[in-house]
Amino acid sequence: MREQSNPKYLFGFTDTETVKLDFDDTPLNDVNYWARRTSFWFRLGGFSVLKSSENHYHAVFNRPVSWAENVRIMAWVSLLSGKKPLHRWFLMQCIKQGSTLRVSRKGSKPSPRVVFRYGKQDSQIKGFLEYRKLVKRISEKIPV
Amino acid sequence: MVKKIAMYGTYEAEEPVKQRYWKRRIDGVRQRYWKRTTQNKKVVREGRYEFHGTGKDLFKAVVKAQKIVPKRFVDVSAEEFLKHPERYGSEGVWVERAVES
Repeated sequence: MREQSNPKYLFGFTDTETVKLDFDDTPLNDVNYWARRTSFWFRLGGFSVLKSSENHYHAVFNRPVSWAENVRIMAWVSLLSGKKPLHRWFLMQCIKQGSTLRVSRKGSKPSPRVVFRYGKQDSQIKGFLEYRKLVKRISEKIPV
Repeated sequence: MVKKIAMYGTYEAEEPVKQRYWKRRIDGVRQRYWKRTTQNKKVVREGRYEFHGTGKDLFKAVVKAQKIVPKRFVDVSAEEFLKHPERYGSEGVWVERAVES
């Protein structure tokens, strides 16, 4: 098995057109509930849930949106779900004007992997997974 | 649509120590100024690069960014960063700390 380096910095994927959500301290059932509700309410087509670590999940949605709509969706979920870590993450994304999800390993945590899929996966999710692969390839090749 | 690779974390770098001094202005107000001294101090800060560009440029930029830490939040194309890395960062080392994505 190839030995993986553990760099001190992290890699993430940033864009403005993919709806992404970072659920910290949330069980998978809750994540699925909120992802499904968001997907139906905003007609996002489908979603993928990635497991970051125990009770920490990321959700990525399929339909491309403008940044204004993206902020609207993130704000809607963070307000209705009442989850403080998600709200904190949302504010951080507003400051940066782009939403980011981690792609690489973080300390002892492995890189996020897909654990659940629902609906269409052919647009933004496909792009996200492809770019994630590129980032992973880059991070593996880096001489430490 | 621009997809970006985010490289973020906590870094340790040296920056010049600033010293304050006062000067009396013509109107009589005592004004505070800051000047850079020749001494350097070690600081620990959080920073982030957001690179976009082709895969090859991204790889080269990431390799370069290992030793050149960002000046806080840097959103730049990988090609531009490779041309003038000194504009976007300074020498330093990344350290392991928890950061917000």
